[in-house]
Formats: sequence, structure tokens, C-alpha cells
Amino acid sequence: MDFGLVITNAITLACIYGTLAIGLSITWSSLGLVNMAYGFIFALSGYGAWLASLYISSSAPVIFAAGILTGALGGIVVCLCAFIPIHDKPSFPIRGLTAALAISLAGNELLMWIFGPRAKSLPQLFGFWKVNIFGVVVTSDKAGTVVSALFLLTLVLLWMRSSRRGLEIRAMMMNPHAASIVGIGVRSTSIYVMIMTGGLAGLAAVVLAQTYWISPFSGITPMIKGLSIALVGGLGSVPGAVAGALLLGVNEALTAALLGGQYVLITQFLLIILILILRPRGIAGILDRAREA
Amino acid sequence: MSETAPIWIDPLGDYETKVDARSAPTNAFLPPQVPWDETTSFKAKLHRIGRLRYYYKWPGHGSRLWWRTRYWPTRRRVLDIRGEYNRKTSRREKTIVDKRPIWWAMAFALFAVLPFILPQDTWNTVLTAAALMCIYGSINLAWMLIIGTAGIFSLASYAVVGAAAYATTYAAIQLGLPWWSLPLLGSVIGLVFGVVIALPALKLDGLYYALLTLGIVELCRVYVIQSGELGSATGGLFGAPSYVPDWLSPPLRQMTLYYASFALMIIALFVYRFVDGKRLGRLLKMAPEKKEAFAEACGIDFYRARINVFLISSTFLGFTGGFYAIHFGGASPNLFSFDTVLLSLSMLVIGGIGRSEGAVLGTVIVVFIDRVMIGIGPLRYVLIGAIMLGVVLFLRGGIFGIKTQFRIWRAKKQSENRSSRAEKGGEMLPEEATETDNKDEIYRRRFDKAQRDFLKCLVTDTVIEEHRTRPLGQHSEALERLLIYFRGQTQVDKYAIMVLEDFKAYRIVGLSGRRGTPPRVVEDRTYPNANEAYHALFLRRVQDLMES
Amino acid sequence: MNKPEHAVQRRIVLDVNGLSAGWGPVRVIHDLDLKVSSGERVGIVGLNGHGKSTLFQAIAGLTGWQRGSILLEGHQVGRTRSQGPGRYTHLVVRRGLALIPQGDEIFHGLTVEEHLDSGAFTRRAWSERSERKKKVLAIFQPLQKLMKVPVGRLSGGERRMVAIGRGLMADASLFLVDEPSLGLAPKIGKAVIEALLAVELGDSAMVIAEQNVGLLEGRVDRIIGMHAGKLKGEASVLLPHA
Repeated sequence: MDFGLVITNAITLACIYGTLAIGLSITWSSLGLVNMAYGFIFALSGYGAWLASLYISSSAPVIFAAGILTGALGGIVVCLCAFIPIHDKPSFPIRGLTAALAISLAGNELLMWIFGPRAKSLPQLFGFWKVNIFGVVVTSDKAGTVVSALFLLTLVLLWMRSSRRGLEIRAMMMNPHAASIVGIGVRSTSIYVMIMTGGLAGLAAVVLAQTYWISPFSGITPMIKGLSIALVGGLGSVPGAVAGALLLGVNEALTAALLGGQYVLITQFLLIILILILRPRGIAGILDRAREA
Repeated sequence: MSETAPIWIDPLGDYETKVDARSAPTNAFLPPQVPWDETTSFKAKLHRIGRLRYYYKWPGHGSRLWWRTRYWPTRRRVLDIRGEYNRKTSRREKTIVDKRPIWWAMAFALFAVLPFILPQDTWNTVLTAAALMCIYGSINLAWMLIIGTAGIFSLASYAVVGAAAYATTYAAIQLGLPWWSLPLLGSVIGLVFGVVIALPALKLDGLYYALLTLGIVELCRVYVIQSGELGSATGGLFGAPSYVPDWLSPPLRQMTLYYASFALMIIALFVYRFVDGKRLGRLLKMAPEKKEAFAEACGIDFYRARINVFLISSTFLGFTGGFYAIHFGGASPNLFSFDTVLLSLSMLVIGGIGRSEGAVLGTVIVVFIDRVMIGIGPLRYVLIGAIMLGVVLFLRGGIFGIKTQFRIWRAKKQSENRSSRAEKGGEMLPEEATETDNKDEIYRRRFDKAQRDFLKCLVTDTVIEEHRTRPLGQHSEALERLLIYFRGQTQVDKYAIMVLEDFKAYRIVGLSGRRGTPPRVVEDRTYPNANEAYHALFLRRVQDLMES
Repeated sequence: MNKPEHAVQRRIVLDVNGLSAGWGPVRVIHDLDLKVSSGERVGIVGLNGHGKSTLFQAIAGLTGWQRGSILLEGHQVGRTRSQGPGRYTHLVVRRGLALIPQGDEIFHGLTVEEHLDSGAFTRRAWSERSERKKKVLAIFQPLQKLMKVPVGRLSGGERRMVAIGRGLMADASLFLVDEPSLGLAPKIGKAVIEALLAVELGDSAMVIAEQNVGLLEGRVDRIIGMHAGKLKGEASVLLPHA
């Protein structure tokens, strides 16, 4: 067994799924919305990037920008349809979830109707090269994935920590009522949040398209994995999501190497159920003490 | 009218004595008709009082007002009829309070004759769709029990159905079981599966559990797709025995399939009714979301009730899984796909969560779009998604919740308007007016208010000055009107003067209006003579009048 | 109070006219008029449940429904609303309102410093938030040592200080303080009120709602009683200087 391969695979997967999980986590904790349309945003931005590579240019920055922009656009659409009309209505969490599912249903089929069921692929963005770090062979797509995901995530997290908008989003996460009292508009802030998380989905889509294809339903499995990670990490906690991503990435790579690919989901869900039964609020329950009360 | 106050001269004075007649400045003469017309003419918009009749009133129930048929084995009535006496028309009437049984009976009749009213050439599409609709409908009813009655947002219903379908098909292939045993075997499998997935529900919160169950469905799908034994190569596991005898002609086969599915849905409706409407359902209705703590304090073990509902529902889902196997002759991984779950959820949401008719109507709508409008391709899912989105955004309880939602909205608007416009100067508020039986009281109060409005415009400084100088005796017209009104007040809380010491100390008290209850002291001032006390009391009454 | 050194032109900061507000079928505030001019400290005194908090919430647009006009700095912020409590609150706040609500309404996970920053979300206040923070810290001395501590860990009195400090951070022309001494030990409550009275108002105005008349008597410019949704007393007196 090649441990180097296992570790690089684990880190790559952790980065992609972690991006999705953090996007979902931020949406949940600041807006109270489980964004089930994330898979649709994912697929949409994949198609956006594909169109850009077809009609504009197939250079990496253009494709990345196109993917992220389409993702942000999808985020705005979801925000306008599933959040703004009902966010102050009764039983919003379940209704928001259902509305996002409806968008996912309609959107995926719309993509199917426009682009057809045939899968599309993006050009290789990171070139073809290999590096040897301490005897571990790292291929270009893995390195590129890790670097770009980490770069964007760090950017987002730094922005959340230090800027005024970031403080706005975090304040809204903690107490939406108090947020409106200090002058934070819930609806305008929700648009920023959705643009940001949609952009993250777009990045993940472009990066994952290096290994998977772009198809109308390609977003569903990554979304479910991202959700699982967010769950394991504890919905709403960014460090929890990172820890969960690492844990599940390691699990996926190890299972694939030791037992075989078809057992990945089984071990993954057993792991999730185990963690959730031990810690009903996910890993974040251990990491973050200030969230009590 | 002159600017200076006119002088009132006592008309009796001249005849009694030769001294100058008593006189006092007073208000200018104002014909009482003028302020009366001003205060009683309708300037403001009039608002309706009372309630609209929402029910048709059936005339003439004879002597059967309290006679009601009940059917065995329940104590329920066939129709919930309320008999009442109409005081306006002096007649007895009856109202059908709950018309749902009538609608159900009509729907059942339509379903029962569906094959006979459809032309034979549409049987292939429509009857197949109807059979599928019945199967989906029974799954949805069982799911509705979990989501609506038990309040567990589980997305794993199809995992149970699919697991039962696969397991029974597999067992039938391996052991050669007869068709009738498959639903029973499926029930057992469903129960076992239900126990397994109910365990995390004990610990997890709503949304966490929803996401976890979504993961379970995905897990089943991936497992089934990859497992060679369960037919990954053939796109499903087939080979289960069918309940349709081989010797039937194709139209008869289709009819059998349809009626068997219809029977399954009726069983599902009964299960729904007996779980939701009986003890378990009642217990859980006591423990709605966010009020669990209260229910627990009342001694309701809602956890246990929820898990019981979950297990009953899972057992029935297993039964449906077994039926699915013998209906379609096997199982396919489609059962586990995200789209199936989504479609089924859209059925629940469109119809309205928490009611059986919602599950059935939602299933009818979605299956019709999905199976009958095949011509428009993938757009039909877009249509379903759009309907679902619209329902979620605008309706609180799906299509069947429109009526309640509209009434809640109307009641809210009405009460807001009333509370912001009602000028409660003694007039009855519309709500009070509908409640009171003595309608005279409404008009008495209205008259009283108009009268007070009129009297308020008589109160001027000159009148008060007149009273101060001469509290007793003949008064000008304005003052006399005021005093007459004050004298006519009810005894409750009427002001009176209490003599503490003759010619030395007087005090104002408020009468209790009840025999044996002493008057209460209004203020702790004492007045040195009666006239001052009279005037203070007058001022008090004037103040109360102006404030009313 | 007609002090000669305040003879500068005074504006009406808040002008409430015929305001009715309530929740669903309940009407809490009945046709209420209130005028507050700049540089003024007004106390509203009344028992529990007579509508003090609802008045403040109506000004901030947080009640279930409301009718009537509310002019804040000459801008109409009261609208006939019948739904969406809190939907326009942030717009009212940007017009220059700082509401310090009853019950702390704090952000548990933010540190005291971030919390104070969050009080200055309006664009102008954000750019000068460090000076404002200094001013607030000068009033609430005990917070200086707690700047990096998450608010969720503070005691009740400290939380109240943070909540009030957050309100004072705003670039507001009208401060509404709802029951500053509620739920605090008498000594701490008194200290909090002292601090509020020590705030330099400058061009803005402050309205304090209290149940305890004794805490405010003689120390604010006027005291208005509130009873059953109506104001009693000098609710709409004209400006000391026209």
C-alpha cells in the first residue's frame, strides 16, 4: 500500500469537500438555511466554466473566474427564491430546506433540458507535471486543487475575521434580531453570504471537474458529502468543518486503498453515525465553547 | 351670536319677589338639535359588525336535532352535523360542520369507476399512472405519519421501501416464496430497518436527522448499484412472483394491477387514520414542535410515541416494499435515487404536510405531471419544482392549508383594523357586539356615547363658574342638562357627598352600587361647607365626562 | 430645562404623531404623541406592561403592526405596517437611531471589542470607531480589561454595559434606552444609570424608559409617565427655544 498516495488523495478530497462543507456551514449558521440547492449551484458553475472554456478562453484564470462568478450568480438566485421571501415566516428552517430542494429539482432538470444528459469535461487547468516531496509523488491536479482551495478558503476566512462585512455576517450568525437592531440588514447581508458560498461552490466545481465530469446531476453526490462533513463538524462551525473534512478525507482514501472504492460510502456513513451518536452536535461541540447558550 | 356671554335671568325670580331677578352669564343658546345632528350624523366610514356565515344552513331537521348515527366500531358520526336554533327566523337549522367525508366518498367513487369511464386506449398510460399513483400515495401516507404526525423530518422512507423490495425479491428468488408472503416478509424487514434508523432519531435534532437520513438513502443507492448480487448489471433485481394470474387478458391484468394498488392505498389511509386520529396521534398533537417541554410536563412521553409512530410507519413502508416487488416483479435502484425522494417530498409539500388528503392530492398532481404529461420532456420536472417552490413560498400548509391560512390572515387583518380604529368611548366594539345577546345594549351605549359627545360641547368655563357660584337651585339650560345627565348615572361608582360633621366637614365618596358594601373614599380632602363639596363633586363628574 | 448656554438652535429629533401599535389583535399603544428635541434627556416612567418597550419597538419598526407618523430628524420612519417586524429596522437605525433593548440582545460569540465595533455599523461611525470606543471605555471603565473576552462569558452587569456601550457606539441622533437597570443588583443598576446620565449628548437626544422613578427623578430634563399605552405629562411640550 502506498501511504503517500493515500495521504495526497486524502488531502485533495478533504480540500474539495471541505470547501463545500464550509460553504454549507456558513449558509446554515448565518441564514439558518440548509442550502440543498448547493448541488445545483455546483453543477451550474461547472457549466458556466465549461461555456467560458468553450467561447472565451481556456486559460485557467478565465475558467476559474467564470466558475466562481456563475456560482455566485446561482447563490443569488437561491437567495432570492428560497431565503428572502420566507426568512421571517413561521417554520422557516423546514420551508427553506424544501424551497432549496425545489430549486434543486427544477434547476437540475433545467440544466438537463438545456445541455442534455451528456457529460462535459474541462481542459486540464494545472498542466501535466509531478513533484516529488519527501518521496511522495504529487501530481499537478492534486497540487493545484489543494493550493487553490486553500487559497480561496484562507481568503474567505480572513475576510470574515477582519472586515466590516465579515463582522456583519458573524453578528448575524449569532443573533439575527440583535443584528437588525445595530443596523444590519438581514436581506442584504444574506445576498453577500450567498454570493460568497456560491463562489466557493463554483471553485469546488471547477476543481472537481478535473477528476469528475460536468453533468446535470454531478452536484448531488458532492453536496451530500459536503453536508455529511458539515454535519460531522457541527453545522455552523468553520473549524469543525475543516476537522470533519480531514477526517472524512482520510477515511475515504484509507477505505479506497484498504477495502475498495465501493465501501467508501458505507464506512463514511458508519463513521458519521458513530460521531453523531457520540456528539449530537458534531465535532464543533468539543472545539467551540462559546456557542453554548 | 354675540361674542360676549349672554346673561341668563331666572324666570321664576320676578314672580316671587320684588328684588332683582337672579341672573348668571351662560352659554349662548344653541338649539340642541344642532350638536345632536353633528354628533349623530355619520361622517366616518361604517364598518360591518358581526360575522359572515361561512356554512350553508340546511333547513328543517325536524325532531332530529340531537339524533346522530354512529358507526361501529368507533363512536364517530357519519357526518358531523350541528343543530341550532335561529333566533332571527325562529327556525331550527342544521350545519354540516365537517364536509370532508363527503369529499372522500366522492373521490373513492371516482377512483373505483376510473377504469370504466376511461377509454380503453388510454388505459396503458393513465391506468398505469393511476396504479403508480396509488403506490406512491400509500408510501406518502406512511411518510406523512413520520413527518406530520411524529414530527420527525426523515427522508429515509424510500430507503425502507427499497430495502424491503430488494430483500423480498432476493428472498423470493432464493427460496421460491409465494407472492402473498412477500408483503408480510417486507413488513418484518421494514420493522427491523425502522428500528435501525430510528435509533439516531432519539438523539439528533430535526435538521441533523434529515441530513443523516438523506445520507442513508444515498448509501443504499450506492450499495445497490455496486453490488453484483443485487443486479448491478441488469439495472435492478427482478424475478419476484406477481400476484396477477397468468391467464388473465391484458386489459384485465391492468385492471387487477390498478385495483390491487387502490386497495393498498385504502389500507394506507386506514393505517393513517388509526395512527393519526387515535391515541398516538392525539398524544403527539399535544406535543407540537417547540412545545415538547410542556407536553413532557403534562406527562406525555412523546419520545416513545414518536418512535412508535415511526416503527408502525416503517412496518407499513416495508409492506409497501413487498407489494412493490410483487407489483413490478422486482426492485430497481431508482427507488433510492435523490430524484425519487425529491419528487415524493414535492407531493407531500404540494398537498400539505400533516393531512392525509394532502398526501393523496399531492400525489395525484405530481404523478399526473410526471407520467401523463411525458410529452414535454425534462420540463415537467421544472414545472413540478416551480409548483413546489410556489407552494413553499406562499402557503403554510400546502394546498389544503389555503383555507385555514386565508382565515388566519383575514382574522389578523380584521383584528388589526378593529384594534386600530375602534374608538372605545363606551360604544361596543364589534367583537363585543357579536357576543352580546341583548342587542338593546348596543344601541343604549351608542345613544349614550352620542349624548356624551353632545354634553361635552356644553362644558365651558362660564357654566362651571355658574355652578361654582350657585350649586343648587335653578340653572341655565346648559348646566341643567349636564346635571340631569349626571343624576341619571347608574349607582355603581356614582359620586356622593358624605357628611363627616354637619356644616363643618364633607367628603366625596364613590357609591359601591351594592347593598351592604360601603362607599369607597375617592380623595382624602374634606370640604368645609356643602356648597364647596357640591362643586368639587360636579368638577369630578365633568372631568370624568370629558375623559370618557 | 431652559439653560442659557443651550441657547443654540434646537431641533426636534423625534416627532411622534398619532402612533398606534400592537401585536396581532392587541393594541398596546393608543394614539400617542411625543416630541423630543436635541440635547434633551427624557425619562419615560411606567409600570410593567404599559407599553414602554412597545413604544421603543414601534419607533424602531419592531412591532407587529403600527399606524401613525414617526419623524426621526425630519424623515418619516413610521409607516403603516402590518407585517414583517424588524424588516425595516436597519433602515431606521441608519437614519440615526440607537436602540438599547430590554434584555441584552448580545452576540454571544463575539468579543467585547468586536461587539463594540458592531455597534458602529453605520458607514460614518465605522470610520471613526476607535475614537468612539475610547469614549465608551471612558464611561464603562471595567470593560477595558475585558476587550478580548467573548461576551457570552461575562456577568449580567458586564453584559448590560456591553449592550449599552454598543448602543452608544452608534452615530445616532436619538438613543432609546429600554430599562437599563432591569435585572441588575440595585447598586450595579444605579451605576449603569449614572453612566448613562454622564454621557455627553451634544446634538443628540436620549430617552430612557424606567420602572423606578427614583433613579431618574430630578436628573433628566423631563419625566413622562406612561399608562395603558398613553403618555401622561409633558409629552409634546414645545422646544425651550424656538
